[in-house]
Amino acid sequence: MESIRVTELVKDFETRVKQPGLRGSLRALARPEKRIVHAVRSISFQMETGELVGFIGPNGAGKSTTIKILTGILHPTGGEAEVLGFVPWTDRRKLAYRIGTVFGQRPQLWYHLPAVDTFHLFGKIYEQDDAEVKKRIALLAEAFEIGHLLETPVRKLSLGQRMRCEVAASLIHKPSLLLLDEPSIGLDVVAKQRIRDTIREMNQIDGVGVLLTSHDAGDIEALCKRVIIINHGVIIYQDRVSALKRNYLTTKQVDVRYAAEVPADFALEGVETLKVGRYGAKLRFDVRETPVEKVIASLAGRGSLVDVTISDPSLEEVIRTIYQADGAAGAAA
Amino acid sequence: MKKIAIYIAIFRTQLINSMAYPADLFSRSFMMIIFMWVFFQLWQVTYAAGGQTAIAGLTLADTLWYLMIAETVLLSKPRLGRDIARQVKDGSIAYLLNKPYNFLLYQLSVSLGESLMRMAVNLVFGGAVVWALVGPPPHPAALPLTLAAILIAWTLDFCIVALIALAAFVLEDVSAFEWIYSKMVLVLGGVLIPLDFFPVWLRNLSLALPFAYTTYVPGRLFIDPSLENTVRLMGAQLAWLALLAVALSLVFARGMRRLAINGG
Repeated sequence: MESIRVTELVKDFETRVKQPGLRGSLRALARPEKRIVHAVRSISFQMETGELVGFIGPNGAGKSTTIKILTGILHPTGGEAEVLGFVPWTDRRKLAYRIGTVFGQRPQLWYHLPAVDTFHLFGKIYEQDDAEVKKRIALLAEAFEIGHLLETPVRKLSLGQRMRCEVAASLIHKPSLLLLDEPSIGLDVVAKQRIRDTIREMNQIDGVGVLLTSHDAGDIEALCKRVIIINHGVIIYQDRVSALKRNYLTTKQVDVRYAAEVPADFALEGVETLKVGRYGAKLRFDVRETPVEKVIASLAGRGSLVDVTISDPSLEEVIRTIYQADGAAGAAA
Repeated sequence: MKKIAIYIAIFRTQLINSMAYPADLFSRSFMMIIFMWVFFQLWQVTYAAGGQTAIAGLTLADTLWYLMIAETVLLSKPRLGRDIARQVKDGSIAYLLNKPYNFLLYQLSVSLGESLMRMAVNLVFGGAVVWALVGPPPHPAALPLTLAAILIAWTLDFCIVALIALAAFVLEDVSAFEWIYSKMVLVLGGVLIPLDFFPVWLRNLSLALPFAYTTYVPGRLFIDPSLENTVRLMGAQLAWLALLAVALSLVFARGMRRLAINGG
């Protein structure tokens, strides 16, 4: 069963533009100048019931616009969409009972109240039975490990704790589909990991489908089976995450620091030296050719290690790579 | 019935929310004490200078009890218009539409929930001061009627404030209109001077405009709850409310269309 089907979705906005300076202001006052912004150019994809799909792209790529269309807030300029059998913009309220939404940058918990108060309020808003809501809160409290946080005013929670409560709040009414817009924004590594774990767990317990947008390739890697990458309003990549990993997330970068000065020669087969200092270096290697274990062992053998950081290429790098491949393919065709 | 339960739950949550900072709640009400004391000084001198016990049929006690209610109605209102205008301007209004409720009724419930606690505290503080200065209210039994008039007054005020705020869809900045409205209420709404003291033409003008019905009516009914007054003033209040509620829902529907098409 499909939970989302989007066909050639297009969304244009009209914005007012103003020339700089006083003259520009006066001109804009007399004759407002308008410009069309193509937020979404043509997007088509499907999502199966209970599937975990990642939706990534840089700022302004059209992610949030697409999510807003799918929740029924915006009308598209063209194309079709169906979410859980509803056309979102004509059946917004009916659809609202079946989906949960979390906007990472727009908290929906009442700031001065304990989260449990908002949970009960949402129970009422979604017309749930009181006893059911109680049971549901107990279940979510256990799954999200937030039982001890529920009675504390939200303003006193850490960002990570608050976000776990946010996601739990969006699940009070047992939605079949969860739309998460940047749920891990601003979180530290540990908090991110916990959010990912809880989302995965809810997917298993409830079978709730999740469409997740993020800047962070790590979120997608940890959670999703399938990924859609968009930029400038078009889908530039759509495949299984394993394929994305195989093709693009193959390099790792290592930053290493030692307690004492080390020789500047970091040459190792299959490892590229990006930068060398007196106490450390920055290296890059391809995990398909050189195992992480081998690189670390070699680095550890050089002296007393103070710090080692291994990082994936940033999402921007991945997108750039995909873009270059895309451009090259276009040029070849 | 379930639909009403939703808005009662929202109202209740906001009511609890407004009690989160009791110190803030009480310190705001401190203003009431100052205002009422200043009003007392002002009107005591005015009545003494005229050598009258009543002006336009109102005694000094009537005037002060009237002003106490009018101030309470005004000072207990949240600054909701600014919030809605900001939500319209930066587009965040879209994020409040993801739940199955009516946005306007949601905002009204929040607004009433926030006002209620403040009103209770303001009434107690203001009432205590006025009682100490001029004695008990002339018609204590008019309190329930007054509270009903306050509820209508706030709902009416909500309609006007929301209409101005939604104009931000077109005008972007509506702070000038908010400012004009608040000053109109101060003068033509009878918050500074009871409308009864105005020259006839100005009083008639004030009663023909909606501002008086957001502030003047509750105070006036508190000091003179006659049937004639109640029917006339509350009837006009309800008529304005019906008119502006229809206008608001039409404007809101238009705004939503614009938002859906243009993204705010």
